[in-house]
Amino acid sequence: MPGQTTKFQVFFEDAREGDRLPKIELDASYTKLILAVAATGDWFPSHHDPEYARKQGQKDIYLNTTFIAGFLDRIITDWAGPRTFIMKRKFSMQRSIFAGDTVYGEGIVKGCRKDDEGKGLIDVDVMMSTQDGPCVPASATILVPCRGEE
Amino acid sequence: MSKTSQYQTEPKLAFGTYEDARAMIGHHGKVAFAESEINWPAIKLFCSATEDSNPSYWDPDFAKEQWSGIIAPPGMMMTFMLQLLWRPEGARATPFLAFDVPLPGDTLINVSTEAEFVKPFKVGDHINAYDTLADVSAEKETRMGVGHFVTTVTTYRNQTGEVVARNTNVMFRFTAKRES
Repeated sequence: MPGQTTKFQVFFEDAREGDRLPKIELDASYTKLILAVAATGDWFPSHHDPEYARKQGQKDIYLNTTFIAGFLDRIITDWAGPRTFIMKRKFSMQRSIFAGDTVYGEGIVKGCRKDDEGKGLIDVDVMMSTQDGPCVPASATILVPCRGEE
Repeated sequence: MSKTSQYQTEPKLAFGTYEDARAMIGHHGKVAFAESEINWPAIKLFCSATEDSNPSYWDPDFAKEQWSGIIAPPGMMMTFMLQLLWRPEGARATPFLAFDVPLPGDTLINVSTEAEFVKPFKVGDHINAYDTLADVSAEKETRMGVGHFVTTVTTYRNQTGEVVARNTNVMFRFTAKRES
């Protein structure tokens, strides 16, 4: 759940196909985009220099890959809880997210299965979008604890 | 008075033909080491940007019990190999093999990634990584312009040599459609 400070955790036995990952929101202000550059160290100019971004054909500076990866992780663990290990995560940046956009994150459980060692895996689909529609479809496989494992 | 430096934020790209690029497939880049060990201040800065309150990144007691110490969000993986804009002996080039692939396009945009994480990134880990050029597409036209998709695979290891993550990244190297 957004803004959790408790250690709420989804256990393998709790998750069902079709469960929704709650929608979260982020303001992609200029300040946020500059913070994203500072926090990731990604100084490629299209993320902080509007003139360079426009030369690329973009309307303004846009969020970098690493920040997007971190926000996708947050969408997943805000729902699943802090005892979650993200094993695989892929995403496709189909549309850029620009300064001034409002960003949304949400997702859905696609399946629950046990691996060869009996560990609980959950497959999720996640989407990052803005007020203008979908931007970054993603999917991940996460490892969560099973009840009685503690 | 010493003069101010001009930051080199635009990567130095190699230029050449599609055939030159194809000839590089299978090549490995040099192993590069992260500027710093994974550290808690960098983790908190990153999480302050993504507004991620996961106690694995903020609460040492919880993190110790769950992971035996504070960990970094998996999304921080690529930050470990990014370089400072200034160092006393001069800035280091970003160690991305994709920039060394000879192609005609004068700019780039990242397209997609597929990551596999073997174990958590822990405070104190000193990460190193190298790239392998996996593929270069034929010329394509997208909304951004005309160019080639460059696929690299990065192998991340910690200070003990264990592979901690692998990342397949696709970047579009292109010449922009310039209006006016």
